[in-house]
Amino acid sequence: MSAVITAALIGFVMAGAILYLVRRDHLHGSYALWWLAVAAAALVLGVFPQVTDWLGRVTGIAYAPVLPIIIGLGMILLRMLKMDIDRSRSERQLRRLTQKLGIIEQELMQAREAQKHAPIAEPSAARTKTAQVIPLSKSGDA
Amino acid sequence: MRGKDDSNQRLLAIIPARNEAATVGEIVRRVRVVVSGEILVVNDCSDDDTSAQSRLAGAKVIDLPFRLGAWGAAQTGLRYAKRNGFDVALTLDADGQHHPEELPVLLEGWRRSGAHVAIGTFPSRLSAAKRLAWQYFRLLTGIGVQDFTSGLRVYDRRAISVLASRKASLLDYQDLGVLMLLRNKGLTLHEVPTVMSPRRTGGSRVFSSWRMVARYMLHTTVLCFAQFGVRGRAASVRAGARA
Repeated sequence: MSAVITAALIGFVMAGAILYLVRRDHLHGSYALWWLAVAAAALVLGVFPQVTDWLGRVTGIAYAPVLPIIIGLGMILLRMLKMDIDRSRSERQLRRLTQKLGIIEQELMQAREAQKHAPIAEPSAARTKTAQVIPLSKSGDA
Repeated sequence: MRGKDDSNQRLLAIIPARNEAATVGEIVRRVRVVVSGEILVVNDCSDDDTSAQSRLAGAKVIDLPFRLGAWGAAQTGLRYAKRNGFDVALTLDADGQHHPEELPVLLEGWRRSGAHVAIGTFPSRLSAAKRLAWQYFRLLTGIGVQDFTSGLRVYDRRAISVLASRKASLLDYQDLGVLMLLRNKGLTLHEVPTVMSPRRTGGSRVFSSWRMVARYMLHTTVLCFAQFGVRGRAASVRAGARA
């Protein structure tokens, strides 16, 4: 098998796998865009390896094949940095949400407790009027 | 400096607790004797009946659905204090190393100093390793505090507001990060010597093993590094405000 076919095959498989996963809608907006760009790059570099040589000439790098590797590694590092930034943000949001949940639960308990001890001001007939019955389907899906 | 009528200040005592069922009830009762104000136990997802014991002792309890760590629990209390308009918040540990009987001393010292934050310290409890570590951090941060980790503290309204903010939510310990944040916001700290006893159950979480110490030192150094530029900015902002 010639090198050209191997490269094209790798490009096709990578782009295909990414496209498949993106199409299955597991990725959130901007992530999908990033991965589609990666798929496109894999496809172009796989099918037209000459692009690498051309890039080497343009940038003045004598050993052109190293270029995609360097760029790729750089992209991976940037991507990881972005991931950690996103994770830190999620962690902050999760912590604050947890705290808020705890506080609100405490307030809810206190309000219930107060209601239990307070004398009922309105007659019970008036309360049943405002009560609603929401039928739930028994099929199981929420 | 503050010049407020102290008697009208609403006070919240925050007790972060994780698996402290053996001591927390007693601590709550003792706090109630010496301090007039509300008592809030933040139960950091305990496995034992810390929550029930606290309620039984008459404290309000916030049960966190999962573990946030000591600072996460303390911050929950501070957010509660801000939400409900408390003027003063004090924090103390639930394991009995902080004596509630020392709280009036701490509050008195805080009021007299006019500082935004008072830290109750017990200098003689520091081991040689801790002393060396604190020396290093004093050099690094320029905060002249004897004991960085003491959880026995009093915060005023401004400090509560700063520490309840999002900015403080990614901190892991109630120590240097918290103090640096307060300092960067232009708040003042004051230390009050108090009596403490060694922890009854278990040792210090931070200084339990050499690996933990190394981790902590590294973590905190990075934190100092991240905060380094902020100090200058905050200082210039203050200078600008004065001008």
